This record gives sequence, C-alpha cells and structure tokens, in this order.
Amino acid sequence: MSYETDEEKVEAIKKWWKENGVSVMAGVLIGFGAIYGWRFWGEYRENVAAQASSTFEQVLNNATANQTDAVVQQADVLKDEFGSTPYATLGSLVAAKALYQSGKTAEAIAALQETIKQAPDPALASIAALRLARIQVAEGQLDEATATIAAHDKSTAFAGEFAAVRGDIAAARGDHAAARVAYEQAIEKGSGLSQLLRLKLDNLPSAG
Amino acid sequence: MLQTIRDRAQGWIAWAIVALISIPFALWGIQSYLGVGGEPIAAKVNGVEIPARDLDRRVQQAGIELRERLGAAYDPALFEAAQLRSEVLDDMIREILLLDVTRRLGLRVSDQEIQIQILSEPAFQRDGRFDRESYERLLQLQGLTPVMFEAQLRQQMTGTQLIRAVAASEFATREELAQYQRLAEQKRELAYARFPVADFKTDAPPDEAAITAYYEANPARFQTPEQVKLAYLVLDASALASKAEIPDEELRQSYDADQTRFSQPERRQVRHLLLTVPEDADDAAANQVLADITAIRERLVAGESFEELAKTQSKDPGSAAKGGDLGIIDKGVMVPAFEQAAFALPVGEISEPVRTRFGYHLIEVTEIVPAQIKPFDEVREQLRAELAKQRSDAQFYELAERLSTIIYESPDSLEPAAQALGLTIQQSDWISREGGEGILSQPKVTAAAFSDEVMTQGSNSDLIEPERDQLQAVVLRVIDHRAASVRPLAEVRDEIQAELSEQSARTAAVAAAESAAAKLRDGADWSVVLESIKPEEPGLVDRYAATVPAPVRDTAFRLPSPVDGGASIGTAVLENGDAVVVRLTKVQDGEIKPADSGQIAPEASMLSQLMGRQLYTEMLRDMEGRAKIERQSIRAEVDL
Repeated sequence: MSYETDEEKVEAIKKWWKENGVSVMAGVLIGFGAIYGWRFWGEYRENVAAQASSTFEQVLNNATANQTDAVVQQADVLKDEFGSTPYATLGSLVAAKALYQSGKTAEAIAALQETIKQAPDPALASIAALRLARIQVAEGQLDEATATIAAHDKSTAFAGEFAAVRGDIAAARGDHAAARVAYEQAIEKGSGLSQLLRLKLDNLPSAG
Repeated sequence: MLQTIRDRAQGWIAWAIVALISIPFALWGIQSYLGVGGEPIAAKVNGVEIPARDLDRRVQQAGIELRERLGAAYDPALFEAAQLRSEVLDDMIREILLLDVTRRLGLRVSDQEIQIQILSEPAFQRDGRFDRESYERLLQLQGLTPVMFEAQLRQQMTGTQLIRAVAASEFATREELAQYQRLAEQKRELAYARFPVADFKTDAPPDEAAITAYYEANPARFQTPEQVKLAYLVLDASALASKAEIPDEELRQSYDADQTRFSQPERRQVRHLLLTVPEDADDAAANQVLADITAIRERLVAGESFEELAKTQSKDPGSAAKGGDLGIIDKGVMVPAFEQAAFALPVGEISEPVRTRFGYHLIEVTEIVPAQIKPFDEVREQLRAELAKQRSDAQFYELAERLSTIIYESPDSLEPAAQALGLTIQQSDWISREGGEGILSQPKVTAAAFSDEVMTQGSNSDLIEPERDQLQAVVLRVIDHRAASVRPLAEVRDEIQAELSEQSARTAAVAAAESAAAKLRDGADWSVVLESIKPEEPGLVDRYAATVPAPVRDTAFRLPSPVDGGASIGTAVLENGDAVVVRLTKVQDGEIKPADSGQIAPEASMLSQLMGRQLYTEMLRDMEGRAKIERQSIRAEVDL
C-alpha cells in the first residue's frame, strides 16, 4: 500500500487503532499483570516457606527437648497448612522419631509411610524407608520389612544400611549364613552402625 | 537529494539493511548471559558453574591453613598439589550440590531466624550484647556488606537445616538398643593355655640355603639409605651473647637513660563500701541510694567501724566480707571516677559518695605506698642480659651478612669463612635424609645437604636459617657421600638367622597349639592334652578386660557360643609370638536396662548420632550420584 499524503497516513493509523486499540491495551495489561502476578506469587511462596521453616525449627527444638506432644502437633500444622512446602515431609520425619520413642509405634510407621509417599527428594524417601524397615524388624514384622527393602534399596549410597537390615531379618529368621553375608556386605559398603554390626557378626553361631 | 534517499529508502532493500544492522545491536553483550567464552570453569554441578578462579582461591586458602597447622613440618612436596586441588574441588561440589538441592526442594530460612543467628553470634557482641558497629566493621574486614553477608548466612543455614532434619530425626529401635546392650556388655567365661615360643627354639645348625633365599627375597630390608657426612659452621646469637662483655659504665648509662622503666609509681591500699544502683534505675531510685549512702557516711564520720559497716551494708560481693578491703591498687585498674577519688584522698578520710556505673561508693585510703625507683644494683644483671642480647642480635645480623658474602665468594671451602669469623668447622657422622642430631635434624638443613648443588656439585650451601625466630644460621658442605646400598650378606647373616629361627619357633608353637585345640575339640580332656602347661583362668570377663591379652579376648569373643556343659576351642598368637589355646565355656549377655519413661538411654543417643551422621553423608553421596557433574581436567600447576 502506498499513501499520497501524510494526512492519509494519519487517517490510516487512526483507523487501525480504532480496530485494534482494545486488543493492544488488553495485551499490554495482561502482560504487566502476568509479570506482577508472577512476582507476587514468588514472594507469597517465599513467605509461606519462611513461615513453614519457622514452624519446623520449633519442631526440631521440641524434638531435642523430647516434647512429643508438641512435636506431633506442630508436625500436623506443617502438614495441614504448609502441605505445599517440603517442610511438611521433614516434619513427619521428625514426628516419626518422637512417636516411636514415646511408644506409639503404629503411628510412627504411618508417619514414615507418609514421608516416603510425599518425599520431595528420593534420598529422603530412602532414609524414611530405611527407618521404616528397621522399626518393622524390631516389631517382628519381617515380611513387611523385606517388602520395604525390596521397594527402596535402589541407591548405592544407602546400600550398606539396607544390607544391615537384611542381615537383621536373616538373623531373626535363624538363617545365620545369610546374616553373615549381609552383615559383611554392610560393613564393607559402610554403615552408620558398623560398630554394632561387628558385634552382631562376631556373635553369630559358627557357620558350620 | 534527501528526497531521492527518502524515495529509495522505502523499498525492501532498505528494510533488509536495517534488519542486518539491528542484529549485532540486539545481540551485543549476550555472551555474558549465556556464559559462552567467559572465564574458565573448574566444574559444573547441575548447571551451576564453579569458576576456576574460585577454586584457585580455595586451594590457596587450604594450602595456607595446612602450613599454619603443620608449622615447620610443612613440606609442599608432601602435598600433591593436584590431590589437594581435587579434594578442595570435591568439597566445593558438595557445597554447591547441597545448595542446589535445598533450593530445588524450596527450603527457606526465615528472616527472623537469620536475625536470631546474627544477634547471638559472640563475634558481633560487645559486653554481652549485639553491637551494630562491631558487626559492620567485621563484615567490612571481609569485604562484605550486611546484605551480602545475610544472603551467605541464609544459604549456609538452609543447608544445615536439611542436615539437621535428617540427623535429628534419627533414632535407634528398641531392638537395636537391646542388642547393643546385650552384646557390648557381654561377658564370657574363658581359660587359656600358653605355648611359649621360647620352648620351640632349636639348636639346629643354620640352613645356609634358607638364609641366602631370605636375603635375596627381602632386599628392601637390608637397604641403607643414601647418606652424607657434613662439615658445617653454626652462627648462633645466644653463643654470641654469652661472650659479649659490657662494662658497668654502659649499664649505668642505660639505667639513667631509662628511669621510668625502673620506677614504681605510687600505689594505695583502699577499702570501699558500695551501694548498687541498677542500670535501668530512674533518677528517683538513684537519689534514694544516694540518701542511703550519705546516711552511712555520717555514721562512719561519727566513728563507727568501716569494717563492720562494709560487712553488713556493702553490696560488693568481692570485698564486703573483707571489710571492704580492695588491697593495694595501681593506677589504671579501677573505673576512672573511683580512681580519681581514691588517689586524691588523704589517708584515713572517708570520701564523699562517688558515682560509678556500679552505684555509689564510699572510699577510704588506709595506706599510701610512695613511688619508688629500683636501685641500680638490683637491676644490673637484667640490664646486662638485655644489652648483651641487643648487641648479639645486631652482631648476628652483621656476621650473617659477612658469612653469606664469604661463602658466596669462595664456594669451595668453609675455611675462609671460619677464619674470618672465628668459628670452628664441625663435622657430622653419616646422616640420611631423615636428619641427624641437634641443628642437623632441621628439615631445611637436610634439604640443603641433599640438594643437587651441595651434594652433587660439592659447593657450599647457602646461609640456612633453620627456624625463623631463632637467631641461628648454618652453612654446610658435603665432605663424604655414599649412595643407597644393600648391606652385604656376610654383615646381615646373623640377623637373618635369628629371624629365621624365631619364625620357625613361632610356626612350631602355633602348630602345637593347633594340634592341642584339635584334640580338645575331639573331646580329649583339658588336663591330658596340656600335660604340664598350666592354664590361666581369668573366668568371666568383659570385652575390655585388661587382665586378658587382647588377642585372647578377640578370639574368645568370636568363638561360637558353647552348648550347655561343653566348650568352644580356638587359638590365638600373642604379640611376643607365644601361641595360645583358648577355651570358652560360657556366654553371658549384658543386662538390658529398661529405659526410664521419657528418658533416652545414652547408648541409644550414641547409636542414633552415629547413624544420623552417616546417613547425612550417604544422602549427599546419593544426590551426587544423581546430579549432573562435569569436572574439567584438573590443572596441576598451582601457586602454593
């Protein structure tokens, strides 16, 4: 298209604006809205996370002071009000310990299962699964423990710990040879309880 | 003409040109966003780069720390630069990883917690309270602004939050605790019989073939290291000091010139009575205390005993019991207001109430020790030592300078230097790189002795100062050298024979013990098998019993539990070579202590701590396994 005079151009621009002005304005508004909305959303999430973090610090403090009721209560707050943050999972991890130590084993198991399901990182799921399996062994639920291990013994980093629990299961079933193999594996791959493992290993009846 | 340009500029060619020109403008500087062609990086962790520059800085820091920790023992050659570098890089990767994970998880430490952390940091406190000035000054020293520091702290605290969540939520199950208590405290009833190695020594003639074979099989054992004999000169400031003679007049002069050092300013024995005014007290409360103390002062002036009143009224816990006595005080010890009053009072007069930050004091001076000057005779020896040291230090530097010049000018002998400076040339025995005695044990000295210049080319060493703070200097040259060698068979024959006969005696002792053990396992009687050997019977012992040799304990605690009335038999070898038969007759598990309600057994906390710590490292390792980590090949050259 070509225009003869400037007036014609102005006319054309005006016409174009009449047709498209609303969409352009709407577009600009939506754009700015999106930018500010995103920022607001980010700030809001940071705020929520910070609040959850504060609550979680209280959970940790209460756990150190052995205040089981307070720990469980605050862990519930984390779950109900801050379910979108990772602190909900960390809270149930800590609550599981408090519950187990105060004798509420079934609830501790439930808290650990919850942690495994919600874990924001596979490493946290492995850690929770390991604890779950150890409680199950202590409670004599050997089949459940075996199933837990089978489902979660995947990372080489935790292989030593899981091998140790496998040894405990074998020992509890009276399979000393398998227990010996598992304990030796656990010590070799590194376990936090290798000191206890060595004692257990030495105490196994002879292979013969 | 402009019109022509305007007309032509409408076509598509013009647009194409504009588009071409706009490309470089639009993309200018984009490399700094994309990181293309930027500075070299050492590694990349999940897309986060570790700049090589940061790594260099950390490696340098680590090197400095090592040097500080090891002091004189630090030898850069011992620390593979490349190894140190890769260790530091591993640390950094783990840090970045933890940071990345916490960010990805969405962990966030609240401002409030950061504030609490900063407020409670002792380094930022003065008089037990947070001090904004110290805080900012300390940060400035590290080149940080509060905003930067708080961001750093936030990262750090977020990382530790995850660690704490994992470590603090660890526990020991009741079964694990019970097992630990049962096993760690387990006791075993044992007896053991010794087969002394000495009983198995034979007088059999030495087996020459075996000796030769042993000599040939173990050349490393008969190696002597490379050794040198040294001639050396030692210049020692302390030896110079003992020689220095200083006439009395000079001492006198120094004494006169430095009177203030030997004078003792006036001191006073003081007692006081204190009524405290709390820091947050208002004027009315302070005035009340002032009124009280004025009343006490009137009682004192009226003749009541200071001692008695201080005992009953003074609120200064340190001095009240002693009747307010503060002993003899120097200037500059007390708070200014107190000192001013105390050093202005005549003896025996009660001061007006004096206000300090503690409260109101009444002060009385009980004795004035006048200023004194120590007489010359008393300080003469001290002065002499000081002057001698000053002089010998100066002399040392001067002589060291001359020594260094002379040895440089005549690098083939120590004689000229010894003559010029009046030093004696000393000679060492053979020494290896391990070093000799005294000053020859210093690593710098041995390093010089075995250096290419000194050992191979035979010139004088440079002037060596073995320890920086001691004014000592050494120059040495090698007068004899012998290369590493293997001692001849004739020289070591007896040594080998002794070794071989000991070995065969040990084997025989173990064989005897094994065969006795086999018979015992077959049901033979203990007393029949052992014949004349009298077993030792420590009875029921725990894992750590000091009465039983460690190898015996280890064997006994590994033997399978015996069936009722029976015994488990094992063997062990003691450190001195004696073989031992061990008999285990009973295993008694440790007592399981029921936990007090609400209390965690100490063993349980120990186990859970061990476990928690290990789990945390395993968690990091797991994350490392899943992360995308690219290491650039490590450059070995690094400036330590």
